[in-house]
Amino acid sequence: MIKLYTWIVLLISVLGCTTDFEDINTNPNAPVDVQPALLLRKVIYDYAENMSYEGFVAGNLLSQHFTMIDFNLFDRHNLSSPQYGGNPWPILYKNLRDISLITDYSNENPTYEVYKGPSFILKALISSTLTDIYGDVPFSEATKGLEGNINPKYDSQEAIYLGEHGIIALLNHGIEALENYTGGIQLQGDLLFSGDLDAWVRFANSLKIKALVRISAKSDVSNELQGIYNSGKYMKSNSQNAVFQFSAGQPNNFRMANLRIGDVNLFVMSQTAFEIFDEWNDPRIALFYRPLSTDNNQFNGLLNGPDASSTSISVSDYSLTGIVFRENAAELKANIMTAWETQFLLAEAAERRLISGNAKDLYESGVKLAFEYWKTEMPANYLNSGKAAFAKIGENPIEQIITQKWIANTINGYESWIEYRRTRFPKLKTVSASLNNNLIPVRMPYPADEEALNKVNYEEAKTATNGNSVNAKVWWQD
Amino acid sequence: MLKKILITTVYSILFNFVQVFAQSLKLSSIVKDAVSNEPLVGVSIWIDGTSIGTITDNLGYFSIQYDESNSFMLIISSVGYKNKKLESNEIGDIIYLEPETLTLDELVVTALGLERDSKDLGYAIQRIDAQGINQVQAGNFTDNLAGKFAGVTVSQGATGIGSTSKITIRGESSFTNNNPLFVVDGIPINNATNVNFTNDAAAGFQEIDFGNGAMDVNAENIENISVLKGPAAAALYGTRAANGVIVITTKNGSDQLNSEKLGIQFSSNTSFESAFQLPEFQNKYGQGNSGNFAFINGLGAGVNDNISYSWGPLLNSGIFTTQFDSPVQLSDGRTFRGGDVSVHGGATITPTELKSYPNNLADFYQIGSTKTNALAFSREFKNGNSRVALSEMQSEAIIPGVNLNRRSVSTKLNLKPSNKLSINSSLNYIYSESDNRPSNGYGSENVNYALVAWGPRSLNINALKDYWQPGLEGVQQYSFNYTYFDNPYFTLLENQNSFTRNRFFAMISAKYAITNQLNLQIRSGMDYLNEDRKFRRAFSSNRFVNGAYANQKIDFRENNTDMLLYYSLEKRKFGIDISLGANRMDQYFSSLQIQTLRLAQAGIFSLSNAASPIESFENTSKKRINSVYALSKLSFENWFFVDLTARNDWSSALTNPISADNSRFFYPSVSASFILSEKFKLPKMVSFAKIRANWAQVGNDTEPYQTSGVFIAQTPVNGLPTFSGQNSIPNPHIKPEKTSSFEIGADLRFLENRLRFDVTYYLAKTENQIISLPVAISSGYSQRVINGGLVTSRGIELIAEISPIRKPNLTWDVQFNFSENVAIVESLPSEIERLTLAYSRIYDNVNQTVWYQVAEGDRLGDMYGTGYKRNDKGDFIVDANGLYIADNTLKKLGNYNPDFILVTSNEIQYKNFTFGFLIDWRYGGILISRTRALATVAGQLKETENRPESGIIAEGVVNIGTNENPIWQTNSKAISAESYYRMKFDRNHEENNTYDATYLKLREMHIGYSIKKASFLISGQEIKLSIYGRNLWAWSKIPHFDPEQLAVQGNQFVSGVEDMSYATSRSIGVQVKFDF
Repeated sequence: MIKLYTWIVLLISVLGCTTDFEDINTNPNAPVDVQPALLLRKVIYDYAENMSYEGFVAGNLLSQHFTMIDFNLFDRHNLSSPQYGGNPWPILYKNLRDISLITDYSNENPTYEVYKGPSFILKALISSTLTDIYGDVPFSEATKGLEGNINPKYDSQEAIYLGEHGIIALLNHGIEALENYTGGIQLQGDLLFSGDLDAWVRFANSLKIKALVRISAKSDVSNELQGIYNSGKYMKSNSQNAVFQFSAGQPNNFRMANLRIGDVNLFVMSQTAFEIFDEWNDPRIALFYRPLSTDNNQFNGLLNGPDASSTSISVSDYSLTGIVFRENAAELKANIMTAWETQFLLAEAAERRLISGNAKDLYESGVKLAFEYWKTEMPANYLNSGKAAFAKIGENPIEQIITQKWIANTINGYESWIEYRRTRFPKLKTVSASLNNNLIPVRMPYPADEEALNKVNYEEAKTATNGNSVNAKVWWQD
Repeated sequence: MLKKILITTVYSILFNFVQVFAQSLKLSSIVKDAVSNEPLVGVSIWIDGTSIGTITDNLGYFSIQYDESNSFMLIISSVGYKNKKLESNEIGDIIYLEPETLTLDELVVTALGLERDSKDLGYAIQRIDAQGINQVQAGNFTDNLAGKFAGVTVSQGATGIGSTSKITIRGESSFTNNNPLFVVDGIPINNATNVNFTNDAAAGFQEIDFGNGAMDVNAENIENISVLKGPAAAALYGTRAANGVIVITTKNGSDQLNSEKLGIQFSSNTSFESAFQLPEFQNKYGQGNSGNFAFINGLGAGVNDNISYSWGPLLNSGIFTTQFDSPVQLSDGRTFRGGDVSVHGGATITPTELKSYPNNLADFYQIGSTKTNALAFSREFKNGNSRVALSEMQSEAIIPGVNLNRRSVSTKLNLKPSNKLSINSSLNYIYSESDNRPSNGYGSENVNYALVAWGPRSLNINALKDYWQPGLEGVQQYSFNYTYFDNPYFTLLENQNSFTRNRFFAMISAKYAITNQLNLQIRSGMDYLNEDRKFRRAFSSNRFVNGAYANQKIDFRENNTDMLLYYSLEKRKFGIDISLGANRMDQYFSSLQIQTLRLAQAGIFSLSNAASPIESFENTSKKRINSVYALSKLSFENWFFVDLTARNDWSSALTNPISADNSRFFYPSVSASFILSEKFKLPKMVSFAKIRANWAQVGNDTEPYQTSGVFIAQTPVNGLPTFSGQNSIPNPHIKPEKTSSFEIGADLRFLENRLRFDVTYYLAKTENQIISLPVAISSGYSQRVINGGLVTSRGIELIAEISPIRKPNLTWDVQFNFSENVAIVESLPSEIERLTLAYSRIYDNVNQTVWYQVAEGDRLGDMYGTGYKRNDKGDFIVDANGLYIADNTLKKLGNYNPDFILVTSNEIQYKNFTFGFLIDWRYGGILISRTRALATVAGQLKETENRPESGIIAEGVVNIGTNENPIWQTNSKAISAESYYRMKFDRNHEENNTYDATYLKLREMHIGYSIKKASFLISGQEIKLSIYGRNLWAWSKIPHFDPEQLAVQGNQFVSGVEDMSYATSRSIGVQVKFDF
């Protein structure tokens, strides 16, 4: 019996032995640590790819570049019911999460110091996209799930832009970190500028110009704007753009090229777009839209937001998406920030006397850069006669600047809609079967996930937005 | 076969002839029913080991001749009675046969393979025998369990034989894992469903269901199945038994009555399947929109030919228009079809009449068939017995091109080389394969998408059978629409998802009697699975214009080794058994999917034909659980029994990178039974009475790798790698879950066991649940692993068995299984008001989401979604345009769990005939239907048939007062019928697409005839013929599909949601069984 007892004790001690358990429970599929370059490459690509798709399938409807002929509750301004895209929230927060991981690496390990500046700049970029689309959003407490905060509070847009750790501050610190960087280790995984830190400074300044102009109705930004303008350290040529060149095939091509043809053909030229391109006599119409199958020189648009259940729409009567978005999508770039956008912003700043500069020159340079960007030859008299001639009698220069930016931002529909909300240009149309009382929405509603999962904070934000209304203005809007 | 019968007949005649002339004596007696004392007619009597035998006459009398020189054993058997073996010298004037009652004193297999007399168990256990399982066969073994056990629910898979059936015992009490454990011959086998890697967007591969692990079990090999329902019954199987255990015992070689003779059993089943319930369509209006339609290229060149709503012209009204199957006459004389767009290049299509095809979906489904043959040889020899079984199944589903074939071989060998040692082994190898498993879920790879939701009522399905455009075979499909859908025949016959699977599970055990009281058993078992899946996509598929190909390989292995020391002692009135045991479990899983989303050459499905960078997804995991346990059974006289168990586990999954402190957990149980009928003298009508009670705990661990975070590889950019942080917040301090349960029950039998009631009440609390909770993505994460929440589940199970008639020639047994289970959330993790456990979402679209949420006090299984605004009286509010107003706040739609389930089965035996049926009644619960949402929005379903020219006035009220002081007036503004239906059933709002899930179903029925006496049969041999049916009839409030549904979405199975489901099948089959 004693012998047996010994055996049992021995057995229990063998089975109770858990020394190799840590080994067994170590995930063999994935690393517990990565180089920040791998995260940086992911963030840039993921943001560029997703937001180009979002900008096309949802943003372009809000900006009225395109309309959707069916499955279009979003186009009819029921923004809670998007069918394609229309929910940038998770994309932006996941990338903010990865950016904060890059920042952590740069703080913890001196070898990774070079990633600090870019991580601040990207955080500023994505945070501004978020707040410009939604208004007040979780910011200061966002992406802190690992530290235990899974119910982040919402910050006011004013604080997100101007707070101590807000967008402007992030850009300033980012620039500072880049300019002070003396290390020899190169920035890796940089899909935008291949590690050129000066290019990152120009990018940050361009973003700062955008942010300052955006909040210019609420804050005196002229000194800061003038400072950047004088420094000249901002994007001036297309080679300095922050863009991602799509590839010809999967997996790095533009998503519209992979969708079923039926999905693509839901998007037809908006009547708003048709009138603008027509009035401005702009040849880029042939790039962004497809001529009618019946006549190679004819284009036609449809008023946004049709009610598919009471209209019979034949897509052959309208211009579909241009081949650059599908067949020739290898030509396409995701644009994060460009020289032409910077020029247009400066032109507006000059026109509004926020900086002392020549608005006309800036505008014209923007137009030329935008034509160059879209590889379309600008008609010889484009800037001299017609709608595009700056400050021509009867034309509002601000409208001209914003409309030119609207044209060039075709793949970047959210930006055009954001600028419309700020400037009311170009004049958008009341959609034909509005589900929002014939009003054009001025913000996107918070997604249902927030109501379900971040309830307490959401309720507060809901109250501040008149019940999560799409008609509640964001702070910077006048 | 005939030849064999002839030989047998001739043989037995000759044999009997020889017997007559041998020097022989005669033995005679009368056989009577031990209870009623009535003589029994037609009882078989034969001499063991020979073919000498006879049967009793009208008076129960028989006589048999034998050779005087040998003493022999006589075997007496009759249907409905227990067999009797008697030595020749024991034969008296009367032989009494005990009627075979369903449950008296049956042996059940409990934890660790211990056989126990069910009467002294302190917990609920229910057993059925072979007959109950394979009388009406289902292709998926799991389906055979449906309705057979109180408290066990089975939801059939959606894609026919080979799809996953979900099984739960006593409802769902865990937030995450409610799968019971399957054990075959003492060794756990895997019942997981492994779904392929998919892409959420409308591009990439969709979910494919390749079936659940337990479907591989061969029903013909089963001796019996015991279901251990609560944790008490299961405490000794360890953590995985928290949700109950299904214990399967396979047949031994000692089954046949004639020992030392080769036993041969053969059974053959052929069944035919047809679509069980199809949607009710409208058949008045055809493809189109706003009443207009003309086909030009299926891409939008014609009038509304880019979409396939049935809001088009009135059908069968003499309207001629161009259609995809209308002829195209080229000037060179060649003729094509309108849809041969790439070939005729836009030539003029000759209009044809717009007709209705009311049966287009019915015509699409075919008659399926399942053929199963099983052959087994068994033999008992001096020191043991053995059995070898072979089986083969060939099945063609009702869905064209979908099949499943399975072959298996099993052996069982029991040896007793000495009085002290016995060795048992069981081996099973199963090979399954399929040419195609159809896609489930929402999207164009599921043919229901093109056939039901978006299949116009004017679609001539037969015209699609020739699915290539002539001259472009392999390159360009032919279809009615080229925008969103694929020709369903093209999808099923070209875009195939095939697999081959090798499954092997086996065990060997040795038991040694150290002394009379002390036994040692050592056992080792393995379950191994290896599966190779291939996903082929042809050129011109909507999602893959240049085709695609993926290969997924799955490996799974689980080893269990245990030892058990068993000590038993009996002293006077007391008995004590003590067992000590230990177990080690090792689990390994790996899945590797490699794919290309573009092929260079059409028709070559190989990674070397890739035209886009190859992507790969790999997942490997390992887990180990070490356990030690002790159990003891105490008995007092023959009426009081107590069981005590204790187990301690160490699980690797609870280990974090720094420490293994949390990996250990302990759980005890105690159960007692008191047999009143043994202790007290009860009225004569009471034949047996027992009360039982138990209390038990079970701990539970989690999936591996939840305790530390990693980085996840993402889409490479220009060939360079990218990584992202994981979306789940890991928890290094995760603790084991704990379920405590209390159960009380009674087993009461009356009138010589002709009336039996078994009632159980249970209350279980599950705390510290390990939950992977969705969290707000603004936290940077979408999920977090936590311990938390307390769920109590309580329920009642009632089994009633009644034998209204029990006569030698006629018996009738009725069984009722009633169960009711409610799981209530008592508390939630810290300060969370309402918890989202999961959601069912399509296209990653927030608004098309069903939310599974709970708040404190709520019932598990509540579903939330959105609807339209209502006033405080509950009327829909209608706006100035006559439309409802979307209400995007989440509201509770209902609970998917039933209020109760009542099943009745009836078995009637008249002479050689048997007849039985099983009816299932599930009451309560809701089902949210995506098919209803989509197919009404698209104008296909019956609901949309009424389309008055004057429009439809939405039922609801208009506010003619102010917002503050509303005055409600009944809406009177009409909107077009199309606008009305599209609004009412809009897929963004689940409220109007919710059904009551109550149903009544005739699940099984069988009629059989058994031949025991025939000139070509020798005693003990039997031939049985039967006809059976499954899923024969159902009543429910759901008009469009089988109310039993299981949807697959985002790699997981979800309850309460129907999503583009295939028709389930009704099957009718014939079974022939030989037992020689």
